[in-house]
Amino acid sequence: MKPSSFSTLGKNHGSLAAVFVVLLGMVLAFAAPEAFASDHAGSAATGHGAAPAAHAEEHGLPTAAPKIWGGVINNSMIVTWVVALLIIWGARAAMRNAKAVPSGGQNFWEFVVEGLENFLGGILGPKLVKHMFWFFATIFIFIVATNWFGLLPGVGTIGWSSHYDPSAPHAFTHVERPLLRGGNADLNMTSAMALTFFVWWIIWALKENGPVGVVKHIFAPKGESQGFMKVFMIVIFAMVGVLELISIAFRPVSLSFRLFGNIFAGETTLESMQQLVPSLGWLIPVPFYFLELLVGLVQALVFMLLTSVFTLLICEHHEEHGEHGDEGHAH
Amino acid sequence: MNILAELAGNFHIGLAALGAAIGVGLIGSKAAEATGRNPGAAGDIRNIAIILAALAEGIVFFAIYLAK
Repeated sequence: MKPSSFSTLGKNHGSLAAVFVVLLGMVLAFAAPEAFASDHAGSAATGHGAAPAAHAEEHGLPTAAPKIWGGVINNSMIVTWVVALLIIWGARAAMRNAKAVPSGGQNFWEFVVEGLENFLGGILGPKLVKHMFWFFATIFIFIVATNWFGLLPGVGTIGWSSHYDPSAPHAFTHVERPLLRGGNADLNMTSAMALTFFVWWIIWALKENGPVGVVKHIFAPKGESQGFMKVFMIVIFAMVGVLELISIAFRPVSLSFRLFGNIFAGETTLESMQQLVPSLGWLIPVPFYFLELLVGLVQALVFMLLTSVFTLLICEHHEEHGEHGDEGHAH
Repeated sequence: MNILAELAGNFHIGLAALGAAIGVGLIGSKAAEATGRNPGAAGDIRNIAIILAALAEGIVFFAIYLAK
């Protein structure tokens, strides 16, 4: 029924890939001399004592995203806004003239949303996915878009530099305060997403189990036992519940650190690879660019998978006890 | 002494990365084995493997950002 729409999708992918390869060449051509200049600036500016600082400056990516306007707005925030607006605009523009047989942009978005719905339905089960799909799908699409936007040419290479030399206005210099910086290379963004998930996780847990159910889910003993063993198991599972609470409290931390660490390390890797052999700075990062494309997708997948599995873990108990008829869905 | 301190300061990250790499490698090898035994369950195995690999590599980020 849909052979024509699928072939359109394939063609779109091909042209997208071509555009990306061209853009990739452009950013590499620009980035190579810039990296060389920054190498010199870094070693000249700092002494032997401040080795970590010199390292950070050499790589050109400070852990904290620099503020660029009014001491409030930083460059990662701008990227997240731009990406969010692009997604909203793209989705609205594609669905403006919705057709029964989709093509072009509508086909792409339906492919993405349907694929995610099937995927999440397989994890969460048909009941939970109905009222949780919006969150996980949004998280996934937004993280992928932000990660890949951070790889575009100009992100991290256009901005303000303190090494600017008025006598040589066209020379490449190291940019300390780039106009744009990958959104997830800022810990504030990733922890905001992780904490938002945590709030929703609590809401969903209370909604599915009720307050008593949540406490029982965490602290109550599982399985059947009698007599002395029962008392023993209650004590054991109460202790396990304390451990469970600690592990739950660390989930937002590990979620945000994982995403931030991967994207930040990826950008640092790309810049280090450009500086490894200055004359080959345009060639050596190329494999790492493809690695970063993969990492950007996998990390978004991991974020979505982990958050949905955490949600399932707190919500499935209720489902299993509520109706014994559809035990198959819980697994 | 300065150099010794620097070495010691980075060892924990190296050890964490070593452990996580071994863990992710084991997960990957077992996932490939499992897929070979039961190709029908490839999708489920892939999901489990990604989740477990993410949990294993999360340790490295704790080592980088939390330990001083």
